[in-house]
Amino acid sequence: MRAHFSRSGFLEGVRDIAPMMLGMVPFGMVCGVGAVAAGASPIAALAMSMIMFSGAAQIVATQMLVAGAPFGVILLSCLVVSLRLLMYSAAMAPYLRPLDHRWRNLLSFVLTDQAFARTIQRFRKSDDLRFNASYFLGSGAFTWVSWQLATVLGIAAGRIIPASWDLEFVVPLCFLAVLAPVLRDRVSVLVFVVATAAVIALDSMPLRLSMVCGGLLGIAAGMLGDKLRDERG
Amino acid sequence: MDRQLAIWLLIFGVGAITFTARLSFIALFARRRMPPLLAEALKHVPVAMLTAIVVPAVVFAPAGVLRLDPGNLKLIAAILAGAVAWWTKSAVATIVVGMGALWVLRYFLG
Repeated sequence: MRAHFSRSGFLEGVRDIAPMMLGMVPFGMVCGVGAVAAGASPIAALAMSMIMFSGAAQIVATQMLVAGAPFGVILLSCLVVSLRLLMYSAAMAPYLRPLDHRWRNLLSFVLTDQAFARTIQRFRKSDDLRFNASYFLGSGAFTWVSWQLATVLGIAAGRIIPASWDLEFVVPLCFLAVLAPVLRDRVSVLVFVVATAAVIALDSMPLRLSMVCGGLLGIAAGMLGDKLRDERG
Repeated sequence: MDRQLAIWLLIFGVGAITFTARLSFIALFARRRMPPLLAEALKHVPVAMLTAIVVPAVVFAPAGVLRLDPGNLKLIAAILAGAVAWWTKSAVATIVVGMGALWVLRYFLG
């Protein structure tokens, strides 16, 4: 374990992900509130955040539990909202390959939308594996701890942040902060345009399948764009 | 089934699903080579997936209602924040401009 740990990498990961937590706190609180509303004990509500560690899956699970959905249907729905994690896992795989299995398991456990967005660019820019793996661990660990604190706050105090503040809007802004700066070449802009059109057109799909399908169409457009660019020389 | 038992089974069931999804390809390609076509596709995952997360959160207000007109204050705030992100590459500047624009617009127009 220690061979791959860099203290400065870990701390930089924490520092870079910290602003994102402003938007995740209200979301984590909603998950705590939702779990209690679904009849979970405070311990179970916290365990949900600790073990599932996915806002989308937690909200789907608790809402379907309240609606009285069958157990298997709830599991299947949670699998559907977790499909995007497969894409993150695939995109990260080549970079994590040289690590030992304990590092790979640990980093997989903390692979979230946020940690992925912040970390993947770093892996692409530099090949300092020790620093990058620790950066990933720092951003993931900080996200996990913040998520638990937000859940506890939700369980104990309810929705204390007024909805009118729209603090949840910080979440898309954080992703925008990672997305906008990479839109500097034609193929990336093409991926953005196609994914935008697709995710809007497919919005009526259940379980936010529009997200994965829109993403896949964007990726297909990007591959086509790469091919056209290469053919033109 | 008892509600508490059902909840605990769900916690471990869904926990196994999310962890397996996260580990899946990381474990699979730890030992074998990735097909070149897949590697090509994966280059586009960040832009495609970030777009798929950001866009619905901005253009649907409230959920399910498409608003591409200037009356959608989140859309205006996101365009300003996106421009700031493009120029500065700073997450803090993006959040400050985006939230600041949303709150100011809402105060005067909302």
